[in-house]
Amino acid sequence: MSVTPSRVPVTVLTGFLGSGKTTLLNRILSEKHGKRIAVIENEFGEVGVDHQLVIGAEEELFETNNGCICCTVRGDLIRILGQLMKRRDKFDYILIETTGMADPGPVAQTFFLDDELKTQFQLDAIVTMVDAKHFEQHVDELNEPAEQVAFADLVLLNKTDLVDAAALERIESRIRGINGTAKIHRTKNADVAIDKVLNVGAFDLQRALAVDSTFLEPEYPFEWGGAYQLTPGDYLLKTAGEHDHHAHHEHGPDCDHGSAHDHGHDHDHAENGHDHDGHTHEDLDVVVLPLTAATPEALEAAIEPAVRAFAEAATVVPCHGTLDAAPSHNAIDISHPGADFRLTIDKAGAYALFCEHHPLEFGLHLVGQRPAAERRFASHHHEDDISSIGISDPRPLDPAKLNQWLDYLLKTRGQDIFRMKGVLNVKGEDRRQVFHGVHMMFDAQAERPWGSTPRENRLVFIGRGLDRAELEAGFESAVAK
Amino acid sequence: MAKQSLSFALEPRASASFDDYVVDCAWSPDGRSFAIAGGEGKVALARAEGDSLRVDTIGEHLLGTLSVAWRPHGNSFATSGQDASVALWDGASGQEKKRWKPGVTPTQALSFAPGGEMFAAATGKSVTLWSPLGEKIHAFAPAVTSAASLAFDRPGTDLGVALNGELAVHRIEKARYETRRYKWPAACLTVNFSGNGRFLASGMADGSLHFWNRSTGKDSQMRGYDGKLELVGWSDNSRYLASSAGNEVVLWDFSGKGPEGTRPIVLNGHTERVDSFAWQPGGDHLVSAGRDWRLTMWRPAKTKQPIDVQMLDSDASVVRWSPDGKRLVAGEKRGRLTVFELVAR
Repeated sequence: MSVTPSRVPVTVLTGFLGSGKTTLLNRILSEKHGKRIAVIENEFGEVGVDHQLVIGAEEELFETNNGCICCTVRGDLIRILGQLMKRRDKFDYILIETTGMADPGPVAQTFFLDDELKTQFQLDAIVTMVDAKHFEQHVDELNEPAEQVAFADLVLLNKTDLVDAAALERIESRIRGINGTAKIHRTKNADVAIDKVLNVGAFDLQRALAVDSTFLEPEYPFEWGGAYQLTPGDYLLKTAGEHDHHAHHEHGPDCDHGSAHDHGHDHDHAENGHDHDGHTHEDLDVVVLPLTAATPEALEAAIEPAVRAFAEAATVVPCHGTLDAAPSHNAIDISHPGADFRLTIDKAGAYALFCEHHPLEFGLHLVGQRPAAERRFASHHHEDDISSIGISDPRPLDPAKLNQWLDYLLKTRGQDIFRMKGVLNVKGEDRRQVFHGVHMMFDAQAERPWGSTPRENRLVFIGRGLDRAELEAGFESAVAK
Repeated sequence: MAKQSLSFALEPRASASFDDYVVDCAWSPDGRSFAIAGGEGKVALARAEGDSLRVDTIGEHLLGTLSVAWRPHGNSFATSGQDASVALWDGASGQEKKRWKPGVTPTQALSFAPGGEMFAAATGKSVTLWSPLGEKIHAFAPAVTSAASLAFDRPGTDLGVALNGELAVHRIEKARYETRRYKWPAACLTVNFSGNGRFLASGMADGSLHFWNRSTGKDSQMRGYDGKLELVGWSDNSRYLASSAGNEVVLWDFSGKGPEGTRPIVLNGHTERVDSFAWQPGGDHLVSAGRDWRLTMWRPAKTKQPIDVQMLDSDASVVRWSPDGKRLVAGEKRGRLTVFELVAR
């Protein structure tokens, strides 16, 4: 006789200390949006204390099954939310803030494991705030920042006004390396439209699973390719230096600050206070090769020769060295700001430049030239031990074998797999099978029919120390024969 | 001449509606009034005289009232709420006498000592003893985890606290405050002293019922519940330990050699989840109610069948006997309150 009311969406807000969670919460609570939002706050007294919709909580982990981290839930949330159910007028949203050092796993698992909460609340999305200014430092020193990014459905890259464009590219690319499927919004002072954060529906199996298509593309050894129309002559490929750091804003006619500067440059990075530990890329792999035209199509056609060139052994090119305009693999030494490399073009025509990382990360540019076409490629460079692996394959799967594989996978690797989601093409099933999971907790159901859309499996795993070969072999074992 | 057997039933006497979800009710010692905790935050005082029931809202805890406890032998009661405050109220006038915040997290549970000389409050990881006027008597060292519930034993010498991984039993008598710990690796949700003092039981988040023999320290576990076990209660004579995590009420019989190795008595009379039950003080009746709108009375020592069933107006949230065991209030999720009287038939 009980009437099941519609489930209240719950957003989990994570982020390292100082990333701007409190600013965002205060913004959401003070904005006039006409929604009743209850906030469960973990860092006391930071959110407007007198606000009547804020409840204080102390994170408390309950192990429901012999210390297995995948079965750990937040006992305090079960109590607080259990109490919030005793209302006739429901809230429109619940927002749960975690502490800066928190592992978002138990919060999410609480909504899979607790039978009562499951009927009343719907996990909407895990939102992770990233402090653009300190992310690189934190992610190198600690595990939590990368884990929080790994769990996210949505990353708010905050404080973008405190770093330059190159740093933003670098950070975004690093976030992508960890979590290939999260949406990323850049924000200043946590200023983001509320509907971008709430009611995202990331865990709603009824909504199409938004898996970034770039992410599921085959992985390339390069992240960026550009096509240039060049006349014969000498060109300079140059990174942003201390004295021309504005150059990356505009690839226009470039003043030649670099040459006026004495290249004995005493690169005293430490003076910036962020002489951090090894993630500055000393070598950057690049390939230059002739194109039939400076068009997106021609660039596309050059991908294959570029991949072949990247597969060859690289020739190290020192600062001021010379690059070949032929398909060969160069590792240019960009350890010094303002490093430059000569490119001699004998024959007028179109040329492609493929770079291991996005050139903006280093302010790398071909002086005086602008690409006529450019393209980004799926990143595969994982500086972090946490990464995302995608599998895209049209072959139908055998349901029994699929279960066997996933069962085995979660039993053996469940602790390392933070998130997984996907759309499956199951043999004999007209509808798409969709699933998502947090660690070993797992929801799956049949969604809308395939209809005329091509049937295809798209799976994404985000976790620590993932092995692509192992995942692909497992997938292969589930393919219907 | 055939031996006359008395049978009892519940008769509705009066009802009233309250503009909130009824979380809990606490009777005054004289059985004329009860205080009500509302899920959206209202605090109300009900006066039940004969066939009339008057409910007055007297105050509020923003975001929800969590707990209500009436002082034994006294005319005041305490409430706590999601707003982290604890309030003391006059039981005759309904006036708020004092309000304070014992901590930053809400006070989850309140319990008066049987003598009425103090009450215990569980605020996050801290448990504190307060006088009926709200003066601090003693604060126990914070536990590693938050307290889910607390209860005094019948003589009022011990205070039990349900924690994650253990029941902590503090000796209150003569302000000794020694602590004995009954450990089990799961979250304890309830703490239940048997009236005869021999056993200590707890419903667990892992779907088990645990009990310890307090003199030998021997612990036993009963499994097979559908989910986390939040409803546990001893019959007044300590013979039965009732428990429910679903549609059934499961009774363990502690007479003779006790329940170990035996099958429990299963009371089947509800078609949906039971959300509250209560043993009759000074008697052997058990009343259960829940989502099937049924208020069901049992007398397990005589029969496994219900001896009376009354229909409520919506999902029941709480049933509470008056201290003399003659009346009972049933609260509903939609706010209706009905007072029943136990009558012979």
